Amino acid sequence: MWDFIVERRSQLLINGFNHVYLVFLAVVFATIIAVAIAILVTRLPKLEPVANAVSAIGLTIPSFALIGLLIPVSKIGDGTAIIAVTFYAVLPILRNAVVGLQGVSPTLLESAKGMGMSEFTSLYKVRIPMAWPVILAGIRVSTQMSMGIAAIAAYVLGPGLGTFIFTGLTGYGGANAFNNVFVATVAIIVLALILDLLLIILGRLTISKGIRVA
Amino acid sequence: MSETTATSSGSVTGAEIRLENVTKQYAGQKVAAVGDLTLTIPAGEIAMFVGPSGCGKTTSLKMINRLIEPTSGTIMIGGEDSRKRSADELRRTIGYVIQGGSLFPHMTVAKNIALVPKLLGWDDDRIKKRTDELLDLVSLDPSRYRDRYPRELSGGQQQRVGVARGLAADPPVVLMDEPFGAVDPITRQRLQDELLAIQRELRKTIVCVTHDIDEAIKMGDRILILQEGAQVAQYDTPEVVLGSPANEFVEDFVGSGSALKQLSLARVDEVGTFPQTTAKIGESSAEVIQRAQAAGHRSVVVLDERNRPVGWPWLRQLKGEKIVQSEHAPDAIDRRATLNDALDVMLVNGHGGAVVTDAGGAYFGVVDFTSVTDQMRAMQEKAHEVSNG
Amino acid sequence: MADVATAPNAQADARERTGRKRGPKLDAEQLIELFGIPLIVVVGFVAFAIWRNTATLDSVETNALPWNSIWIQLREHVVLTAVGAMITVVIAVPLGIALTRPGLKRAAPVVVGVANAGQAAPAIGLIVLLAIWFGFGFWTAIVALVLYAVLPVLRNTIVGLQAVDPTLVEAGRGIGMSNLMVLRRIELPLALPVIMSGVRTALVLLVGTAALATFINGGGLGGLLNTGITLFRFPVIVAAAVLIALLALLIEWLGQVLELVFRPKGI
Repeated sequence: MWDFIVERRSQLLINGFNHVYLVFLAVVFATIIAVAIAILVTRLPKLEPVANAVSAIGLTIPSFALIGLLIPVSKIGDGTAIIAVTFYAVLPILRNAVVGLQGVSPTLLESAKGMGMSEFTSLYKVRIPMAWPVILAGIRVSTQMSMGIAAIAAYVLGPGLGTFIFTGLTGYGGANAFNNVFVATVAIIVLALILDLLLIILGRLTISKGIRVA
Repeated sequence: MSETTATSSGSVTGAEIRLENVTKQYAGQKVAAVGDLTLTIPAGEIAMFVGPSGCGKTTSLKMINRLIEPTSGTIMIGGEDSRKRSADELRRTIGYVIQGGSLFPHMTVAKNIALVPKLLGWDDDRIKKRTDELLDLVSLDPSRYRDRYPRELSGGQQQRVGVARGLAADPPVVLMDEPFGAVDPITRQRLQDELLAIQRELRKTIVCVTHDIDEAIKMGDRILILQEGAQVAQYDTPEVVLGSPANEFVEDFVGSGSALKQLSLARVDEVGTFPQTTAKIGESSAEVIQRAQAAGHRSVVVLDERNRPVGWPWLRQLKGEKIVQSEHAPDAIDRRATLNDALDVMLVNGHGGAVVTDAGGAYFGVVDFTSVTDQMRAMQEKAHEVSNG
Repeated sequence: MADVATAPNAQADARERTGRKRGPKLDAEQLIELFGIPLIVVVGFVAFAIWRNTATLDSVETNALPWNSIWIQLREHVVLTAVGAMITVVIAVPLGIALTRPGLKRAAPVVVGVANAGQAAPAIGLIVLLAIWFGFGFWTAIVALVLYAVLPVLRNTIVGLQAVDPTLVEAGRGIGMSNLMVLRRIELPLALPVIMSGVRTALVLLVGTAALATFINGGGLGGLLNTGITLFRFPVIVAAAVLIALLALLIEWLGQVLELVFRPKGI
């Protein structure tokens, strides 16, 4: 197996990078979209159950099915992969952002208002910092699942380590089938754990000490 | 307390509990949690375990029903070694009441109470009869509360059901662990009174852990004051504990103002109650007013069909043609309530007195402020004489 | 899929928070899901049936979408999900109970930690790896499905049992119930809502992952989708994707109904 890794190291590195890059882009887009929707929900609280139901129902749809649905729209390739992964990545972040932003105690918001903060100032000075740990937890969940979905997206020629898995599948019985699948799977797990670790570090750096949970 | 025994109406159904050299030593701890505790709790009495937190009072209690197994020593219940039976069987014959009631939230009130009788294999008819009987005993209308879930009850009601569950299989011994710790002071006082009224009938052996010395003085026939490691500081009747504390620790623990604490020793029916004009709901207001004025009363106590006080209006408040249910039932006190409790209630109701009830919450009479203060003065003089003489 | 694993769980936690506050009544979100999902499924399926019977399809497309093979794959998909769910519950619940008993309590964080890390494994990688190991077919697919679905049920069983108020357990012991009785009559009923929300998560996971079973000849509606992609026929792809999504929604709805049915009264 070591020979296999050495032999294909450049290919592995490129695909690994692409895999992570795809997930990174999708999660960044998803965070922006989800937080924007969640902020909208704080202005229109009646939408809260709707937003939560949408994220619950959305997560139910199998990623393979969603990729299928997207093929006719965005054709085969990177675009489909990134849309599909972003779609899923939005949902957990949305759920957490709504819970987090709504969960900020009204008395805090009242006192922010009392100090003369505008709605917008209190949003980015009080609401978002208070909700950030919850939002970040959603981002971690999103990142983990995006790594797996990106692997399936490889089936429709998305970039990433998933291609090795499908190569192994097509070459079932061949000499390198196992190596292909095993190395890619382990690489995805390791990369997912590294990303998670980075997000934890990001949390340590960005979450106010006053509200950090031990 | 000797008076309690004298005025008790029921016959003793409790069993004697004897702890002989009982020790609990946890692995890895230098000091024993309970070290060599020897103690006899006579049948039919209430023993209150008090002491600072960590003194081993709860450990001592839980060793009686073997929720905690003693490291050494013997516990005899009704003359029988508690280890003779399996722990589960033993516990089915010992009532257990915990703070807040600890009702199982997924079972109805009736199911909660029926648990132990079911474990003992009672038939359904007997269980149902017993459940209703117990709900009556703890002043909850069975038809209203039987099928409710704990969530639908107030804290005081939950605690009442907890007591009913503890008494369900008519155990000779009932253990209580801070039973009234989770309710507000007024409710606590009422629950204490109710328990005392129940105990007058049942005469169980009750062992009760509390951190509240006032509760211990009020409820206990005997008080066990424990120091760290469950060392007995004093074990005696409340009168003796208050009157001649065994050492400095007890003195500190009982606290200053023990003359005032004596208020917890005197009971309302010792001071004397007198009758007040009563009225039933639906009676003609004019007639009631006439009756009250003839007796020289400015207010009447309104009773429901089971003779329980449900209102205490002034005569000028009786505006309608007929007597109606008042908005608030008066805070009644049991006739075995302490003067302390009586004062508490009097101070808030504006009548300068309190309605007194008997077993089952039935109207008994009214006690007024003057008789209570007279009694206090007499007690203070007596205490003064003792300290001077 | 790793995707839905932790996510609906986070959401179950959030839901629990609101649920407790609002008592036994359903909140707006639950109502939307409870009544919205069957509506979507019925409308979606009727629309599919009408489209299938009226649309003009070329011969390749018609051959790919015969009703009887749709039914067969649908049945396979349901069987994969149901068998996977049963085995999952049979493994995860007793294991969860064991890991909350005094003797094994300390192993619980380790087991959950390992299972958590395992969730980072991509579903497709796991399925193919197992196939290389055990060979293609239904039972290999089941093994992969169960491996995936065990975690939420296991974790929720442990969390649910740990969340039972210890004074209630002691109260049960104190009035003379045996350990087994306390487990059966107090701990399990009280933990049931949490366990069921884990089962629901597992169901969603199973129905989604079952779509990948076709890659190792495990059957299921993924086959239809795969055919569509191989033939590059959009109508077939969309039809298959819609069917899978509708089935997944239906199973999620079923999970929600189960959750409500199993919620003990009084909590």
